[in-house]
Amino acid sequence: MPGGHQRARELLWTVVLAVVMLTGCSSPPSPTSPSVTFGSGATKPGMPGMSGMPPMPDVPAGTTAATTGSAAPVAGNAVSIDNFVFVPATLTVAAGSTVTWTNRDEEPHTVAANDGSFHSPGMGSQATYSHTFPTAGKFDYVCSIHPFMHATVVVTQ
Amino acid sequence: MTDAPRTMSRRQLIRHSAWFGAAVGLAVAGGEVISHVAGTAEAKQGLARPTLRFAQVSDSHIGFSGKANPDVAGSFSQAIGQINNLGYAPDFVIHTGDLTHLATPDQFDQVKQMMTGLRTPHVFTVPGEHDSVDDAGQKYRGVFGAGTRGDGWYSFDITGVHVIALVNTLNLKKLGHLGVEQLEFIAKDVAALSDDTPIIVFSHIPLFAMYPDWGWGTDDATQALSYLRRFSSVTCLNGHVHQVFSKTEGNVTFYSGTTTAYPLPHPGDGPAPKPVTLPAGRLHDALGIREVSYIRGQNALALKERTLQ
Amino acid sequence: MTFAEAITRIGIAAGMAVSGISHAYLYMHGYQHIPTIGAAFMLQASVSFAVAVLILIGGPEWLQWAAAMVAGGALIAFVLSRTVGLFGFSERGWQPSPHAAVSVVAELLTVGLWAACLVGRRRAAARA
Repeated sequence: MPGGHQRARELLWTVVLAVVMLTGCSSPPSPTSPSVTFGSGATKPGMPGMSGMPPMPDVPAGTTAATTGSAAPVAGNAVSIDNFVFVPATLTVAAGSTVTWTNRDEEPHTVAANDGSFHSPGMGSQATYSHTFPTAGKFDYVCSIHPFMHATVVVTQ
Repeated sequence: MTDAPRTMSRRQLIRHSAWFGAAVGLAVAGGEVISHVAGTAEAKQGLARPTLRFAQVSDSHIGFSGKANPDVAGSFSQAIGQINNLGYAPDFVIHTGDLTHLATPDQFDQVKQMMTGLRTPHVFTVPGEHDSVDDAGQKYRGVFGAGTRGDGWYSFDITGVHVIALVNTLNLKKLGHLGVEQLEFIAKDVAALSDDTPIIVFSHIPLFAMYPDWGWGTDDATQALSYLRRFSSVTCLNGHVHQVFSKTEGNVTFYSGTTTAYPLPHPGDGPAPKPVTLPAGRLHDALGIREVSYIRGQNALALKERTLQ
Repeated sequence: MTFAEAITRIGIAAGMAVSGISHAYLYMHGYQHIPTIGAAFMLQASVSFAVAVLILIGGPEWLQWAAAMVAGGALIAFVLSRTVGLFGFSERGWQPSPHAAVSVVAELLTVGLWAACLVGRRRAAARA
């Protein structure tokens, strides 16, 4: 019924206006810096920051720890690192062979055996790393930077 | 009420518009009330001044040079400048790892020197896997390891908050890994604390399963978190994933922070977590720092993500 | 207004109010600090309250459709936050309990009543 709606609407607008007027935004009080206390301990971890001087000498970017690779080794004993994947995932070689890994990614990778028997330095782009396997066995390894990358070298007699 | 006829008379249009306007007006007013009450609820805890304020910065990857960011030192320097211009001096700054890209002595020197420019009384770090590429973190500890234990973990108390810094980037099988010695440290470290002590945990790799396929998780974190189950406020901050993400599990809230170097894809968005090259001019939107504040009595920390200016 | 229409009105308004209260409460107790989600909670609460009030005092039918949309959106957001994550935020199970469950029930009630009304209307029209 039109009358009822009219009244309801008037009431509504009154309520809305009242609420809007009652709510103001209050500004929060400005904070003062709290005091800092440390727990006990002989040497304090961390390093001090600076108080005062503005920073930043212009320092050039560090060098990459890459070793450039030589020509590709015999196809059977090579593993390439491509797009965060070791290829091939399983490489079978004879005992005494040398396996050479080549990093074809832009990101650095490493080759780290799960049993600790070999661990390459950080390999930059196009870097290579070689390891000789004197004994037979199954050697699982990962990239220690991206350990979801894993593969195996199977060494036969 | 009957169905509206196919065409609307002007009177009906005015009527419907009035109701629509009322809905909008009420919603705005309601929003004001809600945020006002939320604001005073915060201020009620003995004034809105934070008990603790700190900044998190992460994954500077000093030494990286690639299309995704040809000048990581420049963007890290910018982040430091931003922290220095927050309008207050943070009580400390934490760098959650991958300070360097390849863990060379030069890169450690550079990042350490840059961080002495932070205007804060304390700068804390935890190592990333890039910081321990070929020496299980020896060089990292030589530069940043003073006062730390084991592989570089430690804890401290500040304004009643207990902070634990963990190293989960060594001896990795597929995910992050804490190890038995570090787990024992955590258990002993919190044993004497009361349940209402707020706990903040820093690590490089997430302590929750953000995306295990890319190693974005820690295989023995569940045990570590079990020692923290009884505390009412536990917040874990990590880096490693180069993007902001948060998750709550039980009494623990995890916040991954973003990088100052280069973005990585979202979980599953591509074959691997490789640096993403964004269109020109968009890089700085993906980089940033984080302000964190804690007010005594509030279990949840207040976080503000700031993109690189 | 028929009895069924009155019940539907009251039910939807109640559902929206409860859902709004849950979201407002959570906002005031920590969710305001979560990026994007915090703002979304406040928006949901304020719109829910507004629509609930207007439906209760006799607003037009499209308000009930709007209520169903908001409630449905809240339900979808809830599911997303438990599965793939929403704006970089995710939670587990029915946390925060009991507010999450209360809100979900209220939203289901809203959507259910609206759907039932729709079906009832269609059946009545088919019979006529």
